Amino acid sequence: MTGLGDRILGLFLLVLAVAYGWVAQQWPEPFGGSEGVGPETFPTMLAVVLVVGSLYLMIKPDADARWPVGKSALELVISIIVLVVYALLLEPLGFIISTTLAVGALSWRMGAPAAKSFVTGLVSAVVVFGLFNYGLSLSLPNGLLGGF
Amino acid sequence: METLGFLMDGFAVALTPYNLMFALFGAFVGTLIGCLPGLGPANGVAILIPLAFTLGLPPETAMILLTSVYAGAMYGGRISSILLNIPGDEPAMMTCLDGYPMAQKGRAADALAISAIASFAGSLIGTIGLIMLAPVLARFALTFGPAEYFALFLLAFATLGGITGKNPMKTVIAATLGIMISTVGIDISTGTQRYTGGVLELYEGIDFILAIVGLFAISELLFFVEARMGKGRSKVNVGKLTLSFKEVVSTIPTQLRGGLLGFIAGVLPGAGASLGSFISYTLEKSVLGKKGRFGEGDIRGVVAPEAGNNGAASGALVPMLTLGVPGSGTTAVLLAMLISLNITPGPLMFTQNADIVWGVIAALLIGNVLLLVLNIPMIGVFVRLLSVPPMYLLPIVTMVAFVGIYSISHSTFDLYFMIVFGVGGFLLRKLEIPMVPIILGLLLGPEMEKNLGHALILSDGDWTTLWSSPLSIGLWLVAGLGLVLPTLFGPILRRRMRNAIKEGPVSD
Repeated sequence: MTGLGDRILGLFLLVLAVAYGWVAQQWPEPFGGSEGVGPETFPTMLAVVLVVGSLYLMIKPDADARWPVGKSALELVISIIVLVVYALLLEPLGFIISTTLAVGALSWRMGAPAAKSFVTGLVSAVVVFGLFNYGLSLSLPNGLLGGF
Repeated sequence: METLGFLMDGFAVALTPYNLMFALFGAFVGTLIGCLPGLGPANGVAILIPLAFTLGLPPETAMILLTSVYAGAMYGGRISSILLNIPGDEPAMMTCLDGYPMAQKGRAADALAISAIASFAGSLIGTIGLIMLAPVLARFALTFGPAEYFALFLLAFATLGGITGKNPMKTVIAATLGIMISTVGIDISTGTQRYTGGVLELYEGIDFILAIVGLFAISELLFFVEARMGKGRSKVNVGKLTLSFKEVVSTIPTQLRGGLLGFIAGVLPGAGASLGSFISYTLEKSVLGKKGRFGEGDIRGVVAPEAGNNGAASGALVPMLTLGVPGSGTTAVLLAMLISLNITPGPLMFTQNADIVWGVIAALLIGNVLLLVLNIPMIGVFVRLLSVPPMYLLPIVTMVAFVGIYSISHSTFDLYFMIVFGVGGFLLRKLEIPMVPIILGLLLGPEMEKNLGHALILSDGDWTTLWSSPLSIGLWLVAGLGLVLPTLFGPILRRRMRNAIKEGPVSD
């Protein structure tokens, strides 16, 4: 079936729109009674628009995009994991170590030689850290390199 | 001549050494952003916003910095078009047609120089247009009531896809999603918690800056990872400058025509810089007819689209500054900066924040002079940077985005949120849901709701008030056309643009 991507998106948006609209109806009436426009008026309108849009997508989907499969998909997942781990380790490990690892890993996965990648990571980390902490006096986390 | 006085005040703001330094820095970084692979103007400006914030720049300096970046990016886009036949950004597409053939004939340096001059002329014309038109439009916009504003916002969304947009319904969906995200948090007028799920971090709503950076920067990284475009481009030899003064003079009419057309395209909703450069090029081709050798490296074929897209870039600032309604991705990001500086965009800005508005306009003029001066002698530097492979560049850009977002709030929660937006943005972009309406929705959503509320309170809950004045009816009509016209004319225009590009001798 062609247009599968759009149809799935449409279905997802339909569920989202209905849930969004339904939640809006549950809010208690604000203090002082309703005055034509309550907190739920605008969200309800949006939900209706999105329902129409999602139905349109399901009925008249565009041709499918080419989705990454196999190795490309794996690389994508790896990149996302690297980003999440970077955010996770930023404070415990400190800016320099975590940035070296993150930038290095990303460059390496994008096709650069491993050694060169991590050197790029280290250099960029040190430069940005120096610029921010000393030049602009905005503190980035020190982490393990506490006394640095 | 009141305007002239304001402009002089603007120059006084922009010419302070501090602001001048930031304008120069912005112009340089902007050109880089324009020419580097994987860093569009909207993306580049978005990454710089958190930095401008954490630096604690005063509002006028922050705006001057970002406007110079914006102007610079328009210059930079042409470099890779000419040298590599790869447009740095979308509006630079038409520059490939004659720019690349010129480069192949060994006149790369000339093409770069003349395009810098054309960019300058286009920007200058556009900025003059901005100076003349903006105050008039701002005064007119003061007559808008809440109902008119509501209709105006609808118009902005409806025309955002542009006349060449592919599927208007997807623009509608994207805008709705953006507005929906903006409703998260405590409702300003009633204090009701909406969609927070009790999460403390969501009470104040979702910070649009992290959404913008996620949607642009992170999704761009993912796109490059997927396409495996990590390898750089080969180095290009620019050669010697042989451009004669006579040749420059001969292109003056083209520059004027291109700049003016571009400006008009920039001001009009739904046209934008891409169409501006396309129209200028096509017009030039039909005006000169057989006399020109378009597509084979005619110098005027480089001048026309460049003057056009830079004129359009300045033109696009008109609706953004006067109405608070941007017409393009990059101006939307500039609007984000204004909102986060606590400046209410719109007609009142011209009276309440005159120093900022005119400072920005003056900075645009100064920035253009700086860019012209920067671009001719320093072209070699930019060309060398062009060959920096994305596999090193994009991870570093991503890291800078992380630093920027982290330094706003010092919370890693925001970083996770940004990644979520990045992944979401990647998926939506794959499905051809445009990013810009989402961002505009995020920015304009609260204003739209506020105006709807005001309009309905004024009319005692009578919904017909939304389309009761002639002005608002007009706005609704244009909004409707904005959605209908692309389905009728979009395919034709798109085919023409594609054909124009195919006609060009494309090698490699």
